[in-house]
Amino acid sequence: MQKIPKLLQVVLIVVGVYFGFVLLFDFILGQVIPSSLLNMYMFFIVAGVLAVYTATEDGTRELVAPIKSLVEDPSKKKTRNIVFAVTPVAVALFVYLQLVPSLEAPLELRSIHPAPPSTVKIYGKRFDLRTLVNPYRKLEEEDPEEFRAMVEAGASIYIQNCHFCHGDKLDGQGPYAAGLNPVPLNFQDVGTIAQLQESFLFWRIATGGPGLPDEAAPWISSMPVWQEFLTEEEIWQVILYLYDYTGRRPRSWEE
Amino acid sequence: MRLVSKWLRIVGLGCLLMGAPSGYAADGSPENGEEIYLKRCVGCHGVDGDGLGPGAERLLPPPRDFTSGMFKIMSTAFDGYIPQDQDIFKMIKLGMPGTAMPGWQDILSEQEMWDLVAYIKVFPGYDEEEPGAAVEYVEQVPSSEDSIAKGKELFLEDDRCSECHGEDGKGNAIKRLLGDNGERTWPRNLTKPWTFRHSNNPKDIFTRISVGIPGTQMPSFADPASKKVLTPEERWHVANYVQSLAKTSEAVNPENTVIKAARVDQAIPDDPYDEIWTDALPSTFFMVPQIIAENRHFTPSNDTITVRSIYTPTEIGILLEWDDRTFSQPGDEDSEKIGDSPLYEDKVAVQLPVTIPTGMEKPYFVMGDRDNAVNLWRWRGGTTSEPEAVSQISATGVGTGVELDAEGLMGRGVYKSGTWRVLFKRSLITESEDELQFREGVFIPIAFFAWDGSNGESGTKHILSTWYWLVLESSSSSVPFLGSLLALILVLGLEFLWVRSSSLQEENH
Ligand code: HEC
Ligand code: HEC
Repeated sequence: MQKIPKLLQVVLIVVGVYFGFVLLFDFILGQVIPSSLLNMYMFFIVAGVLAVYTATEDGTRELVAPIKSLVEDPSKKKTRNIVFAVTPVAVALFVYLQLVPSLEAPLELRSIHPAPPSTVKIYGKRFDLRTLVNPYRKLEEEDPEEFRAMVEAGASIYIQNCHFCHGDKLDGQGPYAAGLNPVPLNFQDVGTIAQLQESFLFWRIATGGPGLPDEAAPWISSMPVWQEFLTEEEIWQVILYLYDYTGRRPRSWEE
Repeated sequence: MRLVSKWLRIVGLGCLLMGAPSGYAADGSPENGEEIYLKRCVGCHGVDGDGLGPGAERLLPPPRDFTSGMFKIMSTAFDGYIPQDQDIFKMIKLGMPGTAMPGWQDILSEQEMWDLVAYIKVFPGYDEEEPGAAVEYVEQVPSSEDSIAKGKELFLEDDRCSECHGEDGKGNAIKRLLGDNGERTWPRNLTKPWTFRHSNNPKDIFTRISVGIPGTQMPSFADPASKKVLTPEERWHVANYVQSLAKTSEAVNPENTVIKAARVDQAIPDDPYDEIWTDALPSTFFMVPQIIAENRHFTPSNDTITVRSIYTPTEIGILLEWDDRTFSQPGDEDSEKIGDSPLYEDKVAVQLPVTIPTGMEKPYFVMGDRDNAVNLWRWRGGTTSEPEAVSQISATGVGTGVELDAEGLMGRGVYKSGTWRVLFKRSLITESEDELQFREGVFIPIAFFAWDGSNGESGTKHILSTWYWLVLESSSSSVPFLGSLLALILVLGLEFLWVRSSSLQEENH
């Protein structure tokens, strides 16, 4: 790192990160990164890098030395003239492109698993989500036959109400999934129900899209408010089914 | 693109399978099949294979009753009843688009799917019988302009296919069609290949025309007893023609979420079919049935809507186009005959927020919410005694709609060959605080609702879309040019100051 002038280092890091993002999103993940998001990331990265490089006075001096010498060193007059001619044109072009109205849809960032409230009112009752457990989970050991019956009841509830969106394979690709945005959750994915406690699912199912906090954009979630259609018992049964079908385990309190 | 590529993959796989050496259910184990079946299929097909699983009630078409021995998508010639093992295998593997039946290839192995075929054959006793001879393809006629033209002629000749599928193939029924079990069946909209139970590959279409679709009124055209029988060569022409009907410019592109309204100079004509619309960019979106609020709707008859928009300095026009197999006009004899009773009017609505959101927050996408009201522009087709009409509704949640004055809102609909076109027109700016005021260059949330009155759709029973965007493309403005000029001068000035100050410093030294 010693040999490379500080200014060049900064430029190289910023350019490297930029193309890193493009490479990661466009090629590896196969999903073009929205330009507004990229701009936001790059703003923080430039700010961060500059903060690090200008942390000491020496550092700052070293960083701006090449620029200063460009202006002050008479032997570099020619380069200076070129840089000073190109810069304003480049800035003007950038401003022009920014001002020409873009027709790219505005980006909507939302949190998919927002933090649950500690208590919540469902069926007119207060539930403490920190201590709430699935009342039928214990049957798994105590009465396996009764437990199977509960899972099967959950299966019926699921196929009558949920598969339209979440899919009969629980993969989030039900017949109507393509018409929804955000798309229905995929329960087969390791990142969904396996990461969550059953009480979280109970809250999400019972209060649906409109029960989400603002950071999760409740206004676009098509998840119905199931306390209007299902009983408390039925919600716990369908939760048993989600874990049983996918072979995943709910996250427990100890973890 | 996702959907299109998924669809291409299905077609591609279909082709591959046909060429591949065929497997047989003999390779599958009914015992293993039963185990898988009990975990994954009983919800719809029932423990006894009778199609009466707990999910059945809310599905149309209903899940197959395997004990009946009837299979819809098969390649056994029309006089046979037992499908080839490959047919059952393919339906399990690829699923049946446009129905609840999913494809299982992503979670089951080939072997497991053969096990299922072996098990399913036990219900009707097909494990002990041989299927009849398969359809003969003779020699495939490659698609060409000439073949498509011949196919079209045969399609229309004696109303052969158009009788049910309509002149343009949109499935606009002129008859009320029922399946063998009395359930409603709709002739396929041949312009929407993503709803084909198998695929719109000419070979698959050829098979369907030759065999028909058992259990429905889709007949076989290879049966010599039929007055409308076709030779194999003719069937290839028809298949090529059917394939050519696929909508391309009006298929859903999931990446397009923005309706771009271009500015025009002339006034917007009242006719939804006016030429002015040929240049307007179409955006097509999926619609889903309303299964969120009380009084849900599980059996929609349509899945997309196409939207175009243009505006002038004073008004905006939004043109909605969607395929509807039935013209539903209460009181009209033909409508009453085809539609389910009670027959309602066809309706459509555009949903807009009352104020353009400044941050992320929008009104709840189904009729708004307490803090964020929406406006619905709703058009209805009228009855034999009442003409078509528009209303303007303000809502802050499902079931809260109140009618506003619809004075400044125009709505006109035209039904033609299986397609509705409805044009809404309103001035960009109004006096009312309860109405959206349009502005150029900003993104305005927009959503759509539609009702097919022949399909029992009324009130909360309808289809709807999620929020998309409408933007009025700014007329050429001088802001970008002036802005960049300013930036140029600013930077030049700074450079000048900098050079001067540094040379001053040098002089001081
Ligand atoms: C969500 C409900 C659902 C589930 C789960 C389901 N199916 Fe189906 N299945 C259907 C429906 C609906 C149809 C009928 C479609 C039609 O008539 O167009 C069908 C039709 C079929 C057919 C008949 C194809 C034909 O040509 O007639 C087969 C075979 C089949 N399913 C096998 C299975 C198997 C095997 C499973 C389990 C691995 C399964 N299905 C799970 C809903 C389902
Ligand atoms: C008597 C009415 C009737 C006639 C005549 C008829 N069809 Fe159909 N057709 C139907 C119905 C009903 C369906 C949908 C069946 C179902 O529910 O799956 C259908 C489905 C189809 C499909 C869909 C296949 C798939 O994979 O989903 C094709 C293709 C088709 N018809 C082509 C034709 C052609 C070509 C002709 C003329 C040679 C024709 N039909 C004549 C009633 C008819």
